[in-house]
Amino acid sequence: MPPITPDRWRILSPYLDEALDIAADQRPAWLASISERDAALATDLKAMLAEHEVVNQAGFMDGAVLDSQITHTPSLTGQVLGAYRLVSQIGEGGSGSVWLAERCDGRFEGQAAVKLLNVALINRAGEERFRREGTILARLRHPRIAHLIDAGVSKTGQPYLVLEHVDGQCIDDFCEKRSLGIEARLRLFLDVLEAVAHAHANLIVHRDIKPANVLVSVNGDVKLLDFGIAKLVEPGAYTYNADSAESGTVTREVRRAMTPEYAAPEQLAGGAVTTATDVYALGVLLYVLLSGQHPAGEALSSRATLIRAIVETEPPRVSAAIDRMTSGLAVTRHAAQCGTTAIGLRRALRGDLDAIVAKALKKNASERYATVTALADDIRRYQRHEPISARPYTLRDRTARFVRRHAAGVAMSAAVVLLGSGLLAVHTSRLSTERDRAQHEAEKALKVSELLMGLLTSADPYAIRQQSGEPTVRALLDTGANQVQLDMIDQPELQAEMLTMMGRTYERLGEHEKARQLLEQALVSGRKAFGPEHVRVARTLDYLGAMLANKGDNATAARTLEQALEMRRKLLGTEHADVAVTLVELGRVYQDQGLNDRAEGLHREALNIRRKVLGDNHMETAVSQSDLASVLRLNGDLAGAEALLHLSLETNRKTRGEDHLNTFMTLHDLALIATAKGNTRSAESVLRQVLAHQRRTLGDRHRIVAATLNSLAHVLVDQQRHDEAASALQDAAGIARAALGRDNQLVAVYTINLASVRLAQKDPAAAEALLREGLRIRALAPSLVPSRRRTFPQDDWSVGATKSLLGASLVALARHDEAEAVLLDARRDLESLRPFRDADMKATVARLVDLYVAWGKPDAAATYRALLQF
Amino acid sequence: MNEPFGDGVDEHSAADALFISLYAELHRLARRELNRRGPLGGLGVTTLLHEAYLSISDKDGTAFADHARFMAYAARVMRGLIIDDVRRRRSEKRGGLFHITSLDTELAGNVASPNALLQISDTLDELAEIEPELAEIIDLKFFCGFSFAEIAAMRHVSERTIQRSWEKGRLYLHHAIDSARPAAGGMRSTSATANAAHHP
Repeated sequence: MPPITPDRWRILSPYLDEALDIAADQRPAWLASISERDAALATDLKAMLAEHEVVNQAGFMDGAVLDSQITHTPSLTGQVLGAYRLVSQIGEGGSGSVWLAERCDGRFEGQAAVKLLNVALINRAGEERFRREGTILARLRHPRIAHLIDAGVSKTGQPYLVLEHVDGQCIDDFCEKRSLGIEARLRLFLDVLEAVAHAHANLIVHRDIKPANVLVSVNGDVKLLDFGIAKLVEPGAYTYNADSAESGTVTREVRRAMTPEYAAPEQLAGGAVTTATDVYALGVLLYVLLSGQHPAGEALSSRATLIRAIVETEPPRVSAAIDRMTSGLAVTRHAAQCGTTAIGLRRALRGDLDAIVAKALKKNASERYATVTALADDIRRYQRHEPISARPYTLRDRTARFVRRHAAGVAMSAAVVLLGSGLLAVHTSRLSTERDRAQHEAEKALKVSELLMGLLTSADPYAIRQQSGEPTVRALLDTGANQVQLDMIDQPELQAEMLTMMGRTYERLGEHEKARQLLEQALVSGRKAFGPEHVRVARTLDYLGAMLANKGDNATAARTLEQALEMRRKLLGTEHADVAVTLVELGRVYQDQGLNDRAEGLHREALNIRRKVLGDNHMETAVSQSDLASVLRLNGDLAGAEALLHLSLETNRKTRGEDHLNTFMTLHDLALIATAKGNTRSAESVLRQVLAHQRRTLGDRHRIVAATLNSLAHVLVDQQRHDEAASALQDAAGIARAALGRDNQLVAVYTINLASVRLAQKDPAAAEALLREGLRIRALAPSLVPSRRRTFPQDDWSVGATKSLLGASLVALARHDEAEAVLLDARRDLESLRPFRDADMKATVARLVDLYVAWGKPDAAATYRALLQF
Repeated sequence: MNEPFGDGVDEHSAADALFISLYAELHRLARRELNRRGPLGGLGVTTLLHEAYLSISDKDGTAFADHARFMAYAARVMRGLIIDDVRRRRSEKRGGLFHITSLDTELAGNVASPNALLQISDTLDELAEIEPELAEIIDLKFFCGFSFAEIAAMRHVSERTIQRSWEKGRLYLHHAIDSARPAAGGMRSTSATANAAHHP
């Protein structure tokens, strides 16, 4: 049979469909019926069907070149994840399997534990979030906390964690096997508390404290495992949905999956998980260590009774738990394991330890110890035979009253309690007199930071996503600030500390004036308490300087930051991460003042310190790279700026994720470089992506969106797309006006840019109106527009340059008298700025030439034309 | 991504921007697999194409109406990669890209000889002109190893429909290749052994 032409095939094709659906033995009859109508068709079909048989029998194209599925699951042993190779499985649990692993990238760091998590990372955003959370946890460093070395996702989508490998025994087994007495058990438990307090001060809650996560080495060193990992493993954590009904379902699933022996009531009830949740789990742990029994006792036998016991039943006192034991033999055994007798054990537990454990185990989170340190303090008081805080209940009543007074928002109640009882704790600590001063100070510092943590995590928009009820938090902050200012006059150290952190919080909430007040006061109390030169004073100065810079008071900001820098260098050495922080703040201020050379030096120094201290792949290093790049770009070193931005981009992607604002900010800066190099098309497409992301994350009306629109407008002007550019600039000006106020200098910049587009569109009347408004604003602050906020060098509209543009509009409108006056005025302004504004000067002279030509004054035109030759 | 594309990519007429970017993406993913995991690592084409889909739709969100359209297109691109690799192997004897996703010389040889693969691919381009649906199904089934059930699920049609299209498309290819050959009897050289199927 000859080859079939395409046309012939199109005819045959539907018949073949039919034929292939008919059983082979019925095909002859079918062909015969076709043959009656069209013999040639039947012949072709017959031949094709015969060939089909051959094809089938020969197995033509059976099999496949590639395989769509993974057809074999290779043993995980030997698999490489990040820098580690799996050696052998050492455990299997609800959240995943644990493997012993060794480093395989040449560097020696011994062994690690790799946890392969059973969690579905639905999409790329989930992966990014997982990595980001992992990065946060990896920063948690404490000798008693097993360090998270790495968190990643394998190419098959398997999320994994690389953890410090700990060789030890669960704390309850350890105590039992060694027959530790009550005192020794308390000492170990205090080590646990120290580690948890450190994590809390770093805003990390464990969420899953239980003996299996508290290991003790042969030497008696405590190590806590899996800090914050419970949160990473939550199913649904990576498919977060704003719809509250849906996230409620997810929470319920989590609850089902969790082993509730150490769960707090609020975890079972789906309430907010806070530091108080860890306090509860620690209470259960202490109960178990002291009595050898779980507080739920018999209820432990079934899941349902256990849950009811946790939520509803007040557990017996620890000392009473001894009596609950089923046989005298069990009591004697546990007592013996504690190195005492049943009577001795009961006596040791009764009273203070009963009260301490009971307070940690309160059903209502706000009635528990406000912080882990408060729990530790009480245990130490017990050890020293001092009165403990858990017993006089008036404190609790006062706390409850405070809560009733201030807690309008239920979600905020934890923060309120932290503040309320924290302040009370401060009052009581004033009463104790005979303590080692240094120790005292350290404890207080920790207390303060823990106390404030509650505030910061609730109120700081950078720490968590915006919540409803924010005004309540602000009211709460105000109350706290007042109390600190009034009640702590005789405790300057504590006052300085609190005022500094509260000032910082106000600053982050955008309340500059209030922030300034508190920070300045903090400086006064700090100098009084610590002396004129102290790291704490330097830190307050740094915050104050940054705050002043944000407000736009560059001169004072520069002076303050210079002081902070000098002090930090002196106290910390020239290569310290904190020195880099101040260098960056000061560099930005210099840049805003137009002192680019000075700024460049500082940014370079900061970058070097960060690379050395934090490493090349640190997000702070990326910030310094972007800062330095921005100075270089404005100084005209495009290649240098571009190279730095690529480094910064890579680090941002790795450390903050593809979807982070900083990542997109770096892309934006790269687009500016592309524009400057003439790659307007690619710059435009990048800027549009950046814009879409910023609108999604910041909203349509954010000042950063306005800045990006301005950048986009420049790219469009470069492509002669004036209409689009004009509408982008109109948007930008509108946004800036709403976000920053109608007199803001950025409003002037966008307005003047829009005027220059109108001029290019041959609409001088519109340009004139815009320029007059722009000039009005520029006259309010005639010094330069902050250069850090500028995307293009030409955004630096001086008053002279703006007048010159106005002159050009008037020339176009043939209002020659006015144009002459304005242009000559512009020339005088620009003259005073020499030699900086030469380009603007040249443009002004050229406009004068145009004017006199149009006006019919050839002599004057010739005079200015001659000037242009220079 | 700056890697030059394989020889012969220009020969494919459909070398539009999308093709090139997808080609480069698949190439990159495949190369990454080779670096990370070594040959025969067990990465399935599904995973590879899925990753490519995420990556491409990130960059160019609007290019595809749906996932099925993407898969069909990506399978076509995948064939381009395979054929380029076969060509390169034929000229270099070694060093091709595709052991990565487990197209080893021997394995590919089990399915069809290099010459047969090239012929199938060329003829498939003809078929794509006449009945693109059939060509897509062959790309997915033969070159990428998707099962009838998977392809049916992808396109929301019955498995039987896919199987029929496959039979028809395969028939077209066989007929076109066979009738283009000058002398009869050479069919054995293009046909695959019936039991070749999948890799270990």
